[in-house]
Amino acid sequence: MNLEKVIFGFFIVLAMTLNFGFFLGDIDNPNHHHVYELYAAIVVSLIATVLKFGDRTQVGAVLLSTSLAADLQLIAAAILWAVMGGSMDESSLMVYIVSLSGGALMANFVSVILLISETISQRR
Amino acid sequence: MNNILFLILRRLRRPLITIIISFAIAIIGLTLMPGVDDKGNPWHMSIFQAFYVISYTATTIGFGEIPYPYSHEQRLWLTFSIYLTVIPWFYALGKIITLLQDTALRQAITTERFAKSVRILQEPFYILCSYGESASVLTKALDDKGMRVVVVESMQERLNELELSDTKNVIPSLCADAKLPDTLINAGIHHPLCSGVVTLTDNDQTNLAIAVAVKLMNPNLPVLARAERDDIAANMASFGTDHIINPYVLFGEQLAMRVHAIGSYILHEWLTDVPGDTLPPPECPPVGRWIVCGYGRFGKSVIKNLERERITTTIIEAAPELTGCENCILGSGTEAKTLIEAGVKDAVGIVAGTDNDINNLSIVMTAYELNPKLFVVVRKNRRHNNALFKKFDANITMQPHDIIAHECLAHMISPLLAQFLALARNQSNAWANALVSHLVSVVGETVPETWAITINTKNAPAVVAFLRQNHPVSLANLTQDPANRQEHLEAVPLMLLRNNESMLLPAGTIVVNEGDQILFCGRPLAKSTQPKLLNIHKELTYVVDGIVVPDTLIWRWLKVLQERLARTKL
Repeated sequence: MNLEKVIFGFFIVLAMTLNFGFFLGDIDNPNHHHVYELYAAIVVSLIATVLKFGDRTQVGAVLLSTSLAADLQLIAAAILWAVMGGSMDESSLMVYIVSLSGGALMANFVSVILLISETISQRR
Repeated sequence: MNNILFLILRRLRRPLITIIISFAIAIIGLTLMPGVDDKGNPWHMSIFQAFYVISYTATTIGFGEIPYPYSHEQRLWLTFSIYLTVIPWFYALGKIITLLQDTALRQAITTERFAKSVRILQEPFYILCSYGESASVLTKALDDKGMRVVVVESMQERLNELELSDTKNVIPSLCADAKLPDTLINAGIHHPLCSGVVTLTDNDQTNLAIAVAVKLMNPNLPVLARAERDDIAANMASFGTDHIINPYVLFGEQLAMRVHAIGSYILHEWLTDVPGDTLPPPECPPVGRWIVCGYGRFGKSVIKNLERERITTTIIEAAPELTGCENCILGSGTEAKTLIEAGVKDAVGIVAGTDNDINNLSIVMTAYELNPKLFVVVRKNRRHNNALFKKFDANITMQPHDIIAHECLAHMISPLLAQFLALARNQSNAWANALVSHLVSVVGETVPETWAITINTKNAPAVVAFLRQNHPVSLANLTQDPANRQEHLEAVPLMLLRNNESMLLPAGTIVVNEGDQILFCGRPLAKSTQPKLLNIHKELTYVVDGIVVPDTLIWRWLKVLQERLARTKL
């Protein structure tokens, strides 16, 4: 067992699960989506991105690109929340934020599938 | 570039993760600390506000307590956050700066930049595998002629000189060992526009290694190599090095050429010099008894050639057993005693050919004092002694690097020029004198441009179209002025190559054929005007037939109509 691989897998899966946790619930109900959960999702997603830096394989490159896609959408959601918070209707703002995080979830999902497929294809 | 980016990212993984984690902890803590707003109500910072505060705190910008004065809990956490975030921040900054100063990384970046600037070259170019004294003269001459050059040199100081010099075109240069195949590939030996490799280092083994590498990787690429030792030269020739340049042999030949054919010598110098320069009138060495100081490679070549011209020589050599000199006077030649012993008083010329500049100058100064009528030939080894040699003003100052550069130029300007010069050497002195005076009358006193043209569809479409319509074009037509056909361009055809048979100084009445190669020499203006005749049908028609073809369809149609009317009237 390789500790590096454990940490790597842990962060990628955690990025997806946190994202999923935030996404879960009624899309327009602010009570179902906690700001700290989005925060945690962003932090873990950023860490996962940095961990993927410098991997020169084809799979590594695709993993990095999915991670960048997830970061982009999560940060967009956070900026939206920080800037528009209080200035517009809370439930419609929540729809935008959660739909953005839903997009990020797809990217994270692809990331995890890639990770699994790579693990399975390795015979050691 | 791609690989370098990933190299940077990979090395920055640890500092970046440290920053993310420390920021994450500091931000979350700050939002959890209870605070009070300006009205005394309990207040918690939002994540966005906390991110803002930590960002300016960690980067030590420190805007203060925004938006309300902090509570004790918030201050306590912020104190902790400062130590938590500022240190990783500087750690990361330090890492980035160290990385940028990393020699391996910088080398990788400069190599990549160099390779890219070579890849994007759109014109034919030559690769120079050194930037020593001869290569710098060559680079300047090629640059003046508008040819592109790529330089690889293993010593940074020499490249600094190149970077500081004023050049017409950008000259991509790299500090690297040209013996390494990777360096040669980066320098563009696989580039489709690469026209040749020139290796002029003062180390024969290095030149040999480069020549072998180039011939193995791209056998069709012409290679010009410098070789001073005969065995190395033979080795180079064995695997097909195109031109092997030995400065000593070349100088010996040139000296002999000066003695018996000053005209051929002037012609040679003239056609291979930098355009625009004026040549000083060369002096003709006298025939009689000469003294040669130094029986090294240079001295041997000089003596061999002088003896062929039936000039007797007396040799002065300091170490005859080393150089294999049998019949010589012992000594270095710097003292009057040795020179008198060699008979300096009744000699006509002296050659100071040791590899030490100061000794050479000392020899010729002493000899000159003893016999002021001497014809003095002195060998100059180091360029930075230029001022000394200029002051002494010998009849001939032999500069190995100039000779090498001229020889390279003859091959690089056009293969036809080298062929022409080889043929010209076999002609009589009277022939060369006549040609030189003819050239001077046409192109003036300054060094002319030399260029070659090929009559084919790619390079001379108008001429080929004419020939295919059985409409003959003479050589004289190609030197007529497209602005006024009575006038001639200031250019002279030097040689015509047809079916591998060369014709020196072809007459203007000769009709050109498809596939002919013609070497011209003339003013820069003539060189830039001639392509009009080769490419534009209208200009060629005017020059050959004196007819101005109308430019537009309507005028052409009107002209046909006019001709038809004129015919019916008749």
